Amino acid sequence: MHEKPGEGILKVKSILEKYPKERRYLLAILQDIQKTYNYLPREALNEVRDYLGIPLSSLYSMATFYKALSLKPKGRYVIKVCDGTACHIRGSLDIVEEIKKQLSISPGEVTKDGKFSLETVNCLGSCALAPVMVINDKYYGNLKPAMVKDILESTGD
Amino acid sequence: MKVIIDDKEFEAEYGEYILDVARRNGIHIPTLCHSDAVPGQGSCRLCIVEVYERGKNKVVVSCLYPITGEIKVYTNSEKIHRMRRNIIRLLAARAPGSEYIKKLKEEYGIPEETRFKVDEKEKCVLCGLCVKACEKLGSMAISTVNRGATKKVAPPFEEPPVDCIGCTSCAHVCPTGAIEVREYEGKRVIWNRTFELLKCTSCGRYFITREQYEYMKNRHGIDMKELLCDRCRQKSTAEKLVSLYKKLLVKKTLFQCYRLQKD
Amino acid sequence: MNGMVQVPRRTVLVCCGTGCLANNSMEIYKKLKDKAAELESGFPVIPVLKATGCNGLCERGPIVQVLPDDIFYCKVSVSDVDEIFERTILKGDVIERLLYLDASSGKRVRSFKESEFYKKQFKIALRNIGQIDPSCIDDYIERGGYEALKKALFEMSPEQVISEIERSGLRGRGGAGFPTGYKWRQCSKTNDFPKYVVCNGDEGDPGAFMDRSIMEGDPHSVIEGMIIGAYAVGAEKGFIYIRDEYSLAVRNVSKAIEDAYIRGYLGRDIIGSGFSLDIEVVRGGGAFVCGESTALMASIEGRVGEPRVKYIRSTEKGLWGKPTVLNNVETWANVPVIITRGVEWFSSIGTEKSKGTKVFSLVGKVKNTGLIEVPMGMTLREIIFGIGGGIAGSGKFKAVQTGGPSGGCIPEALLDLPVDFDSLSDAGSMMGSGGMIVMDDRTCMVEVARYYLKFLSEESCGKCTPCREGIRRMLEVLEDICAGEGREEDIELLLELSETVKEASLCGLGKTAPNPVLTTIKYFESEYLAHIKEKRCPAGVCKKLTSYRINADLCRGCGLCAKRCPAGAISGKQGKIYEIDQGICTVCGTCREVCRFGAVEVAGRATE
Repeated sequence: MHEKPGEGILKVKSILEKYPKERRYLLAILQDIQKTYNYLPREALNEVRDYLGIPLSSLYSMATFYKALSLKPKGRYVIKVCDGTACHIRGSLDIVEEIKKQLSISPGEVTKDGKFSLETVNCLGSCALAPVMVINDKYYGNLKPAMVKDILESTGD
Repeated sequence: MKVIIDDKEFEAEYGEYILDVARRNGIHIPTLCHSDAVPGQGSCRLCIVEVYERGKNKVVVSCLYPITGEIKVYTNSEKIHRMRRNIIRLLAARAPGSEYIKKLKEEYGIPEETRFKVDEKEKCVLCGLCVKACEKLGSMAISTVNRGATKKVAPPFEEPPVDCIGCTSCAHVCPTGAIEVREYEGKRVIWNRTFELLKCTSCGRYFITREQYEYMKNRHGIDMKELLCDRCRQKSTAEKLVSLYKKLLVKKTLFQCYRLQKD
Repeated sequence: MNGMVQVPRRTVLVCCGTGCLANNSMEIYKKLKDKAAELESGFPVIPVLKATGCNGLCERGPIVQVLPDDIFYCKVSVSDVDEIFERTILKGDVIERLLYLDASSGKRVRSFKESEFYKKQFKIALRNIGQIDPSCIDDYIERGGYEALKKALFEMSPEQVISEIERSGLRGRGGAGFPTGYKWRQCSKTNDFPKYVVCNGDEGDPGAFMDRSIMEGDPHSVIEGMIIGAYAVGAEKGFIYIRDEYSLAVRNVSKAIEDAYIRGYLGRDIIGSGFSLDIEVVRGGGAFVCGESTALMASIEGRVGEPRVKYIRSTEKGLWGKPTVLNNVETWANVPVIITRGVEWFSSIGTEKSKGTKVFSLVGKVKNTGLIEVPMGMTLREIIFGIGGGIAGSGKFKAVQTGGPSGGCIPEALLDLPVDFDSLSDAGSMMGSGGMIVMDDRTCMVEVARYYLKFLSEESCGKCTPCREGIRRMLEVLEDICAGEGREEDIELLLELSETVKEASLCGLGKTAPNPVLTTIKYFESEYLAHIKEKRCPAGVCKKLTSYRINADLCRGCGLCAKRCPAGAISGKQGKIYEIDQGICTVCGTCREVCRFGAVEVAGRATE
């Protein structure tokens, strides 16, 4: 579902071509690369540096500052557990704990088989369904820790 | 225009920063991230002062607050003193390894930290001067990475920086001695990258990295048949020195920074 | 239209706001649409299907409305679609069981407008949401859209527009309540070009989704407001900065901009007025601090979102050092209405110093979770217990948090506080962008403060010392308190650090960061003391300070707790009193949640 780096450098070129060579498009370019590869491959960052003439240090700074960008590949299924206030006071951390237990990963990590990565996010704007999590684009609302196992098991490639 | 600092009246130009006026008149305000070479940080917040303007009272950083109207400034009111102590306490808890911070801590009578968990080795206070200096000199080899409590200064991918030329400007501009530079046997190590050093053609002392030399040659078109170290350069003929120095200054080369570091 | 006999239409509005989408409303919409397409011609009714933005009542989603009959269905599922289509859409019959059930009266009501939830609301910014298809510019125009723009461009000078906004008393809806007209005037006075208008849609407060709903549900109102603002200050370029997580908002706003270009509301020589404006969408990168105006501008410029010192205002030196007017989504959405309906009308709503309405996302432990818009000055009590229907479940109201991480927690004693910019600030909180999170007695106020500080320690840009180091240390102290390691002098220390962070930080994020701590200490100090001195979390939230006990007088021996306990820590026999083994218990709270007799009680730290 996501491009592998190396074989997909052409994709980076086609992303870059969509944007004029101006600094203000940097964030948009990085986001597009992130969407294509699920992370920012180093080869891609080198291409961006050459295209926009922005030093690698600035790109690295951007990549570590913005949460939408990541330097490590994410899992094929990205679990985002909402820890917005409404979810928090309705027990979102218990959900996180349960996922940690089930998958043996902490937020920010990827399972060994590369299937899942776990993240906590600030607010998905679905406070009425709190606590909520999203796996790729699928929402799961009114969660209880006991529901987690089944949901993870039913999420398949 | 007039400005009243600590109940005394001084002359200031429109738009001049409080800190500059205070310093000119011998009023001491402590700073950390302020450098005349790379101004405009406003990040350490050590130089806070209280300003009374148009009936309002506010806390501002003196290094960046422009005087544009009638103001009264208090550089060490009870409130400022209290907050400055807190800032120093926070800095000391972050970077207990820095001698400069230790001195500040003593000056403000701050007791040993017993409440917060401290990392004894840390020296960096994240003032950002090193990044600014590197940016200004054009190599942009390092930057701030991450954000919030995990922010730090690092080269890309935290590997020896490819764009670094080993000029050590970052280390020299650092107020807390947080950037390590090691030199031995014609080598210089900074940011975990090892550079080969070139000798001064006059005294034979190692003083400049090959990358630094290449950088100046390529970027500024300066051909330095005579590679002179700082000391020998000063000894060189006055006229040559002045003209070369001016040229270098205008073009913001590395020598400018060397000079600034010494100031 | 074409001279043919008018066949009656029935408009079916399916809510496709994020909350309803999460509950599968897109399936419902598609199925209804398929059914409508299958309908043979010559049928006595033409169904017109529209996917709308958020109706606000997310708790009862998915929502389907049928017009002109004004029938409002809640919690619709895909299996209800056939019946809705056959009975309601084709025949106009009401399906009783799908109607809205009023929490207070216990009655079902046919029209949304009759519900307690809706009745007390007053919609300006949300005027079109739920009523129009946001991807259809004609829907917007049909409801008076772009009339304000015509009026401004052809009947008013820029000066008149500014003075109109000034006189209306409109204040920034993003949080601080800065007078919008004054901001515009400052920018218009500056003789430096180009100038920019920016819309801040980087809504990052956890528990807030007002701006998202507006951008998703009525994007043209924001665009129209921006064009009017740009005309007033003389800007030729605009940016709408939208949080990246809001993919639907990005899509809908981008589509709206495209359509506005096609109709001549954007681009060169807007509808023949001679005025030109371009607007572009910029996706945010996922950084809360970018809600701060100077950080947002840095982000638009393609840099790291670090704020700059603001002693020179953005209206003078903003984006790329040029004069810039930055307003929040809701503020922009208010502008067209003010121009159309006039200052007298607008300023008659609200309080003396806070005019108009405010949108809130009412969430947490409240019955009617959702998005609401009320006149300024309504009391918290009216909002939470009137519109919100009171506390969900068996808990008791404890506090309401307003203003997100920059705001504070307001206790029960202040429930009659009118909600406006100044009253909330006086109480130590702030209006913020409009998150309103209701907390009950099972919410620990120390933990809430810890939660916000944790959030802020991660979201601070890290540039200035007080914010980066101060928040980090305050968090350290709060974590200790929650873990039972608090010291007696900690409250004093928190207060002192708060002052420094508040006064000496560089930007608004740091300057307001201590508010959650300050207000919880101010109004709930006893909870801090219980944690610190008695090593007890009264709400039963802080696990290291909590153990559960079964009250023998209340236990009926039903065994439900033992059955549900995931750790297998509860033992006993049916009909007898059950017991919790403290050595095995993981303090997950399931037993307390499932017990129907309130027999599971919270006690202090378990003693072995």
